[in-house]
Amino acid sequence: MTEGLFAGYDHDAFFDEVFTRDGEIRPHYRALVARLGLFSADELSRRERLRDAAFRTQGITFTVYGEGEGVERTFPMDLIPRIIPADEWAEVERGLVQRVDALNRFLDDLYVGEQAIIHDGIVPKWMVLSSDGFEREATGLSVPHSSRCVVAGIDLVRDVDGVYRVLEDNLRNPSGISYVLENRAAMTRVLSLAFKDHRVRSVDHYGAMLLGALQHVAPPAAGDDPTVVVLTPGVYNSAYFEHAFLARQMGVELVEGRDLVVDDHIVSMRTTHGLRRVDVIYRRIDDAFLDPVVFRPDSQLGVPGLMAAARAGNVTIANAAGNGVADDKAIYAFVPDIIRYYTGEEPILESVPTYLLDDPDHRAEVLDRLGDLVVKPVAESGGYGMLIGPAATEAEIDEFRGKLEADPRGYIAQEVVSLSRHPTLIDDHLEGRHIDLRPFVISGEKIEVVPGGLTRVALRRGSLVVNSSQGGGSKDTWVLAPERDPRRPGDRSEGADRERVEGDPRETAQLPVVRADDADAGEEPSP
Amino acid sequence: MRFDIRYRTTFTYDGLVRESQNELRACPATDDRQQLIGYRVMTNPSSRVSSSVDYWGTRVDAFGIRAPHLSLEVVAEAAVETRQAPMVTTAPRLDALTDEAFVDSHWEYLQPSAHTHWGEAVSAAASRQRDYLGTDVVSLVLALHRLAGASITYTPGSTYIGVDVEAVLDEGEGVCQDFAHLAVALCRSVEIPARYVSGYFFAADDATGVDADTDMVDVQTHAWFEAAIPGFGWLALDPTNQREVGLRHVKIGHGRDYDDVPPLRGTVAGTAVHALDASVEIRRVGSIGPHWQIAQQQQQ
Repeated sequence: MTEGLFAGYDHDAFFDEVFTRDGEIRPHYRALVARLGLFSADELSRRERLRDAAFRTQGITFTVYGEGEGVERTFPMDLIPRIIPADEWAEVERGLVQRVDALNRFLDDLYVGEQAIIHDGIVPKWMVLSSDGFEREATGLSVPHSSRCVVAGIDLVRDVDGVYRVLEDNLRNPSGISYVLENRAAMTRVLSLAFKDHRVRSVDHYGAMLLGALQHVAPPAAGDDPTVVVLTPGVYNSAYFEHAFLARQMGVELVEGRDLVVDDHIVSMRTTHGLRRVDVIYRRIDDAFLDPVVFRPDSQLGVPGLMAAARAGNVTIANAAGNGVADDKAIYAFVPDIIRYYTGEEPILESVPTYLLDDPDHRAEVLDRLGDLVVKPVAESGGYGMLIGPAATEAEIDEFRGKLEADPRGYIAQEVVSLSRHPTLIDDHLEGRHIDLRPFVISGEKIEVVPGGLTRVALRRGSLVVNSSQGGGSKDTWVLAPERDPRRPGDRSEGADRERVEGDPRETAQLPVVRADDADAGEEPSP
Repeated sequence: MRFDIRYRTTFTYDGLVRESQNELRACPATDDRQQLIGYRVMTNPSSRVSSSVDYWGTRVDAFGIRAPHLSLEVVAEAAVETRQAPMVTTAPRLDALTDEAFVDSHWEYLQPSAHTHWGEAVSAAASRQRDYLGTDVVSLVLALHRLAGASITYTPGSTYIGVDVEAVLDEGEGVCQDFAHLAVALCRSVEIPARYVSGYFFAADDATGVDADTDMVDVQTHAWFEAAIPGFGWLALDPTNQREVGLRHVKIGHGRDYDDVPPLRGTVAGTAVHALDASVEIRRVGSIGPHWQIAQQQQQ
């Protein structure tokens, strides 16, 4: 194993996705390692150039805030894919479905229910009321089928023992799915032969899956063919590329606030053929900007009268307003109890030990141990405003001590998780880099998970922060289809949907993009 | 006491405006001291009004006018019957305010908010009253109510919503919203839950609260506050007029401050507002009317 690309590969004391502690290759990586072993360094760098060209032509960029206006840079995809075996994924998938189901019910209970979870003393009332994400304007606003989180991005990490743990929930506007699809499209061009060694479950039905879920939450009066639009804040938003991408994938209109108009509590979009009624708005703008009548009066991004239209039952806003209370990082500490309360089951996925700071004793303990802990602001996402104790300077720790004392409800502290590592191409060889995983969970007629998700890589050596906004990269994530039953060769009738795999003839027939032959031509390594 | 209330606001614009979207909170609440008998909202140009109840329990009427228009008139008519508020019969001590269940159930009304964010002057003034008075909660609330009234001179047009309570205290001038915000802030700064109330007041003069000698008055919407008394409930006081809230007060709703119960808010595309004419006409009608009796019977 220590030949070629893997020469000098050191997995240190972390959980390595490819190698066991004894240096054995894990069974589900054997074919990939063998395939990679055939590549020379030159060949790999040629393929990296191929990949870069593919991404550049597709215009995939990611705006990073705090680096001046509109700085765009690509979100680099590492050539080495991450592989998750079928049985391992099945367990993760069950855990995700259970979690999102409970969170949907929690939100429904808070906004249109009796707040039973508060009355029963499971979640403290003040913890909900003090959350920035608790949106009083969403009270009484029901969502068909209680699918308040149509799209959820649940960030998972694996600890030193390889146990999957939920790091945080993203229930407002999780982004990243476009990278999952684009990474796969690029990989099938750049490393297409590697797919032939595996049965990789496909991800390109995402557009259909999302559209189906959005149509499912349409108001009952919308009829059989509800009109869905994607609402974007516009081209200056960091995820604009994704908004346009998703509209294209679903075959629906991409609109800005000014393209929508409300008349008699009915939302319509302006088209060249006049007004067209809109039933579901997949909005990618924050709650605060949705409707200046109700939220920030200075916002130009939203649609005046939108909330009243939603309250009148004429349009569905997805994800629902007010979801931020459930991904508040202090509420995160209660999610295992939230799952038990609504489902009557034990949580399938582990959490990360989390400390709330409102109790003075806990706070004192945390302040003593700041150098060993991770501190996060409760309402932020994207890795902004965090303190990673072990990597912080004395001055940074002191700064956070002040912040925590001034606003204990505004922060939580967590134990550091030694994120698993994955071999990643650094110059001409492989090094271990920390990774996480953001699976996308869709709540429509049922709760479904896109196989895999976005694996993010902390490209800086030793860094634990994988967010794209913090210098992270990504990997294509392969979930393997379950082994076919050897006694029933060729039988695909059972669970056919779950086993849609890359390179499946049924798939290629309906792929919008046919793989470029010239990319395949260079597939065999140069002699 | 039975009242017919006519709330009316007219916007006149410099030029044509369009896509007006609005929310009206003008409907009298029904609670233990008043009963709504009838309510309707009309707009000119006309619109479809969609009603809902917000987080705070206040009825919200939403309406929009998309077509270009030069003016907008909003009229809400209500018939309401008021009753005498129950007497405070308990005398809780200050330590009852720190009871865990009491604090938990009034959490929102103990926090600072945009218009009640107190600073040192408010906090010091309230603490002085507490230290001076001893341990009776009701006495302290009444003292803070008097303090709010004594700290500001009623000056129509002196402030607009947005001035914070410390500035109001410093300037010493304000309108009813400022009195209410100041009283709320004073209470909260000494851990007494308090909420802002929007409503109507039947008086010849907003400033003096003098009883009208006619059966019809022409006023504005009014504001006062309520403080939570452990073991009793909400005690409603009108700091502007230095009196308890009584038969002549009609409550619309409550919240943390003005922003939770603004009578009318909205957006419009086009030119600036040229003139805004807001008025509230309150007519006192025969004490217990037939509607009220019907409503009573239905309740039983």
